Amino acid sequence: MVVMRNLTIKYKLIAITMLTCLASLMLAGTGVILWEWINLRRIMARNLSIQAEMIADNCKAALAFEDSKDAMETLEALHVQTSVVFGCVYNKKGEIFASYYNDNTGNGVRPVELMEDGYSFADGYLTVYKTIVLEDEVIGTVCLQSDLHPMYAMLGRSAGIIIGVMLLAFSAAYLVSSRLQRIISKPILDIADVAKVVSEQKDYSTRATSQTNDEVGVLINTFNEMLEQIQQRDSALVRAKNDLEERVKLRTADLTAANEQLIREVEEREKSEARQARLLKVLAKANEELKDFAYIISHDLKAPLRGISTLADWIKSDYGDKLDEAGKEQIDLLSSRVIRMHYLIDGVLQCSRIGRIKEEKVQINLNELVPEIIDMISPPEHIKITIEKKLPVIVSENTRIMQVFQNLLSNAVKYMDKPDGWVQINCVEEEGYWIFSISDNGPGIEEKYFDKIFQIFQTLSPRDEFESTGIGLTVAKKIVELYEGKIWVESEPGQGSTFFFSLPKQESEVYDVKLDAILDYK
Amino acid sequence: MRLRFYILLSLSIALHVVPCNAQDRSDSERNREYKIKAAFLYNFIKFVDWPEEKVADPNEPIVIGIVGKYPFGDAFEPITKKQIKGRNGLIKRFEDVEKLKKGKTDKSAVESLRQCHLIFICSSEKENLADIVNLVDKHGVLTVGETPNMIKSGGMINFVVEENKVRFEINLTAAKNNRIKIRSQLLRLAKKVIEEK
Repeated sequence: MVVMRNLTIKYKLIAITMLTCLASLMLAGTGVILWEWINLRRIMARNLSIQAEMIADNCKAALAFEDSKDAMETLEALHVQTSVVFGCVYNKKGEIFASYYNDNTGNGVRPVELMEDGYSFADGYLTVYKTIVLEDEVIGTVCLQSDLHPMYAMLGRSAGIIIGVMLLAFSAAYLVSSRLQRIISKPILDIADVAKVVSEQKDYSTRATSQTNDEVGVLINTFNEMLEQIQQRDSALVRAKNDLEERVKLRTADLTAANEQLIREVEEREKSEARQARLLKVLAKANEELKDFAYIISHDLKAPLRGISTLADWIKSDYGDKLDEAGKEQIDLLSSRVIRMHYLIDGVLQCSRIGRIKEEKVQINLNELVPEIIDMISPPEHIKITIEKKLPVIVSENTRIMQVFQNLLSNAVKYMDKPDGWVQINCVEEEGYWIFSISDNGPGIEEKYFDKIFQIFQTLSPRDEFESTGIGLTVAKKIVELYEGKIWVESEPGQGSTFFFSLPKQESEVYDVKLDAILDYK
Repeated sequence: MRLRFYILLSLSIALHVVPCNAQDRSDSERNREYKIKAAFLYNFIKFVDWPEEKVADPNEPIVIGIVGKYPFGDAFEPITKKQIKGRNGLIKRFEDVEKLKKGKTDKSAVESLRQCHLIFICSSEKENLADIVNLVDKHGVLTVGETPNMIKSGGMINFVVEENKVRFEINLTAAKNNRIKIRSQLLRLAKKVIEEK
């Protein structure tokens, strides 16, 4: 069947026809030969049996009167039948009474054993036995042996004839089938040609012609319909393709323009970024210089200030008695101004130090730190400072946190104007931040000053009324913002004010002191 | 009595033993010959057809008459036990030929002879062949002999011993005269068939 697969339809059809023909011819031929063989054997056996019977009849008297010569003569009659090669008559004792050998073929044929009635085919011979009965008494047996070769020769001839006929029939079948196969193969081959043209030249306008009304005709019609549809779709596709190309061209142009724009923008941005970076560098340098400048200035300013203060003290002690009241007053004023100057310089130093100096972060338990700060401030008796809630343990720089709390608390105490003053410290946790609040029932702040109070050297009260440098809130703000927190105020003038500040909550805080210890160790 | 018996016995032994050695072979040959002849006689019956009236009653036996000095001994013993043509076989001896010749005086003996299907005339009666044949003529009796003159004397079949083989001659005319049909198979085996045209 593998061979069949590679054949064209034409040869497949021929091959199928021929194989069918061959199979049926072979079957028929085999059947005929088989039938003839069986028939020949039967006829031979019957004929030889009849002959044996005749001889048996003729030998009755010879046997009865023990005349073997007569029996021999009877057997001699067999010579007319050349296929009989041997014949003999046994007497009732089973001894050979008379025998006959065909002169031509008798050589090598041996007398056979006495057997019962019947025939047998063996060793290329047909052997027949027939008992001789006289007056219901078995008086002997006839045995005839016939050569089967003539029969085989006959069969061979028949087979030859049949094979000849088969060859003739076969060639006739070839002629007929090679003509008739076109009925089926031609339309298929036509459609195959059309399909080839379509697939090779992509020409969908080609059509196969249908000549038959059978399945092949249906196939061709369907094929044509398919071609029609493909043709339509193809042209639609071509149109769509053209449209698409046009659109793509437009889009590409747009994109190119946009891209160029973008490149320009990117370049500009890069330029501006570079500018910014340069600027930032300049700024940082300026800032650094400013810090150093502030530090150096304030540090260097302290020395002459100390000299002025000492000189003022000296004038007061050495020339106190020589000065009048007004002079003394002016000297005192000088001293106090020098002191304030001192504070101011300290403040500037403090401010500049916040950005400059870094401390190691440690665990700070606010529940311990805040009371210490309150002690340090030592508020007057009419002001009560209370911690409303248990405060958290945070990780931060100790001095800074202390500064924030100190500044806020001392401000509250310092500006308290009520006879029964209170200050409350509170803390809530909100969205990853600790929000601390310090509330008082002091004078309060008008809303318009909410921003101003956090600026450096700004106080709301007259200079002489409170000893204030106007630097505390600035420092607090700077510290809180350094930790990425916020500081703000809410106030009702006359009622009091609340200062809030937030610190980002670190994961290690509060929850696990041990882990913090490990982190610190590292 | 006893003494006389012994004398007779010894005499008979003496008489018999002496020629016995010389005749031993010929005796056994004779025995064999008559055995064959007995079988042949029996077989003749199978190849011969008698007139209707001779075989009318199927219950009657086939009768073989032996005329003359009986030479067969016990040769018929195995044969007569078999049926022949669906009948029993019966052997009748006619040893007193003189009595037969005077048939007119003793009719029953002749009648008995004429009722036989087959008679065998022994060689002892070679002088009386024609007489005996004439006695049974026209009575449908198959006459068989063993002497050269048998056919001439009107007998139907005659045994001839040739090269130690028993063969026979047939006188077909005699048979036809007696309306006895001898089958061709038998005729074919005959050494000689005499037939007057």
